[in-house]
Amino acid sequence: MERLAAGPARPGEDKPVNVFGHSPLKVVSIGAGMLLTAFIAVLLFLIVSHPSPENLIASMLSTEIQFAITLSLITSVVSTVLCIIIAVPAAYGLARYEFPGKSVVNTALDMPLALPPLVAGVGLLLFFGTSPFGKGLAEAGLVFVFTPLGIIAAQFFVNMPFMIRIMRSTFESISPRYEYVAKTLGCTDLQAVWRVTLPMAASGFFAGAVITWAKGIGEFGAALLLAGATRMVTETLPISLFLNMSCGNLNMAISAATILIAISICSLYVFERYGGSARF
Amino acid sequence: MLRIEHVSKDMGEFLLKDVSLQVSQGEYVVIIGPTGAGKTILVETVAGIYPPDAGRVLLNGRDITHEEPRNRNISMVYQDYMLFPHLSVHDNIAFGLRNRQLEKPEIERRVEESADLLGISHLLHRRPDTLSGGEQQRAAIARAIVMEPSVLLLDEPLSALDGRTREALRKELRRLHDTMDITVLHITHNFEEVFSLADRVAVMNRGEIVQDGAPDEVFRKPNCEFIADFVGVENLFKGMCRLDNGNAIIETGDLSLVSTTCTREGEVFVSVRPEDIMVSRTKPEISAQNVFAGTVTESVNNGIVMRAVVDAGIPFVVTLTRQAYQDLDIKKGDSIYLLFKAASVHVF
Repeated sequence: MERLAAGPARPGEDKPVNVFGHSPLKVVSIGAGMLLTAFIAVLLFLIVSHPSPENLIASMLSTEIQFAITLSLITSVVSTVLCIIIAVPAAYGLARYEFPGKSVVNTALDMPLALPPLVAGVGLLLFFGTSPFGKGLAEAGLVFVFTPLGIIAAQFFVNMPFMIRIMRSTFESISPRYEYVAKTLGCTDLQAVWRVTLPMAASGFFAGAVITWAKGIGEFGAALLLAGATRMVTETLPISLFLNMSCGNLNMAISAATILIAISICSLYVFERYGGSARF
Repeated sequence: MLRIEHVSKDMGEFLLKDVSLQVSQGEYVVIIGPTGAGKTILVETVAGIYPPDAGRVLLNGRDITHEEPRNRNISMVYQDYMLFPHLSVHDNIAFGLRNRQLEKPEIERRVEESADLLGISHLLHRRPDTLSGGEQQRAAIARAIVMEPSVLLLDEPLSALDGRTREALRKELRRLHDTMDITVLHITHNFEEVFSLADRVAVMNRGEIVQDGAPDEVFRKPNCEFIADFVGVENLFKGMCRLDNGNAIIETGDLSLVSTTCTREGEVFVSVRPEDIMVSRTKPEISAQNVFAGTVTESVNNGIVMRAVVDAGIPFVVTLTRQAYQDLDIKKGDSIYLLFKAASVHVF
């Protein structure tokens, strides 16, 4: 009688639940995942717990870190907005239309993903430093080499594929028939996209923007080559981490790292939580 | 009036080949054909989503072949509703009226009116994804008819719905058409929709319209093997149905057929499968409800089975096994009796 009443609450009594079962494959594969998770957690904990909390807070409030935070925020927001402006229409075109050379364009746009950022940085440096176009821009007052503008250009170039990939998969998941219906209901092509497809793509759009922004904040290699690492001039959070680490100023370096970790965790959470069907 | 003149369109996987079709003002035309026949491209071309490679589309005498969809006054409803998920049912229905920049009270009045017409007034504040399939399709139809379109295009509007909902919405479409006098071009692969809705039917296969005409004509006199195979309806008759003591009596020609499958009065189509009809030399003594005397006018050897046409006032096709045919010794011109159960008389 007693057992019957308690039955559903204690299923383990009748049938012992063994998470790992008896399959070696299950044990090994789940074990590998667990091990990696533990490793990541240990790394993050080591960084965050290294300085004392007082030192951490003092470093974060220092002029240098404050400058790095501000510069990182401004450059990453601007480069994200630029990515949105260019990548959203490009992704729409790739998702909706067939055109000759489409697969080449698709591959080329994914190229910066595979390219080491340092190599991208060399290319950007040559483009802005030595090409007639880059020189023309410099003469017009838009100097990219060793300036914060260079940081924006580097972030834009390296992170644009993320925005394109996420938006492309989002647009592909929305049937064009929604637009067809909108057009029969009085919309122009552009209005149909603006009033129907974009609102339906909102979650992918949001996820893409968050990932692009978070990647932008962390961008180091390409920015280092194009914009350089000048203290209090082109010192973003990752550059600050690099500069302070190289001259042994561990507290400052780790406070920059801690902020970057916090941003990564938050943006990943937001992406997973609100990203809907968006994938990259 | 909608006129499609020699329209061709090659979309690779699907195509239209020299399609011509006319839908008169207030007419309900159903296009029926198998999957991949090019039916959806045809309606999308009429709606102006793609320009045709060749041919013209005329609406009330105006050439709209290259007119933008928004300037055609043609509304479209798809099988999978295509309600905008980020808008409430109300805002979905109001979507087109707002594009036309009508006055707010006018928009409200018309949204309520069409929601009322489709029985979804209580759902106006809801999001589409909280509705059942039938409710979503009603909302999509309301969104289309609120525009008072010159032509309403329906692309398999009932195919995603379950049996009872489909039946209910089918009646609703007929009622809407009758009360609002809308011109409808409806696509389906389900021939029951043809009988209950169509004034005229066009059969489409591989991008071509292979036959069009009144439903009973097309189904009774298919002009090619494809239609005969595809629709596969023989012994199809048009009649008037009245209900009498739980049975339905269908008057067709000089005959009164008794059916147990009919639940409504009025004009209906009935069909009796040839293999459900039994044949007797002498007047049968059993109490089958449908017994008719007739004359054999035709008999054809189909290999395993024999097909005979028996004129009993209206011509019935019957099929018999070779053995039965030989035992009965049926010849052209013989008088025989036909009998079939009331349950075998299918009503559409």
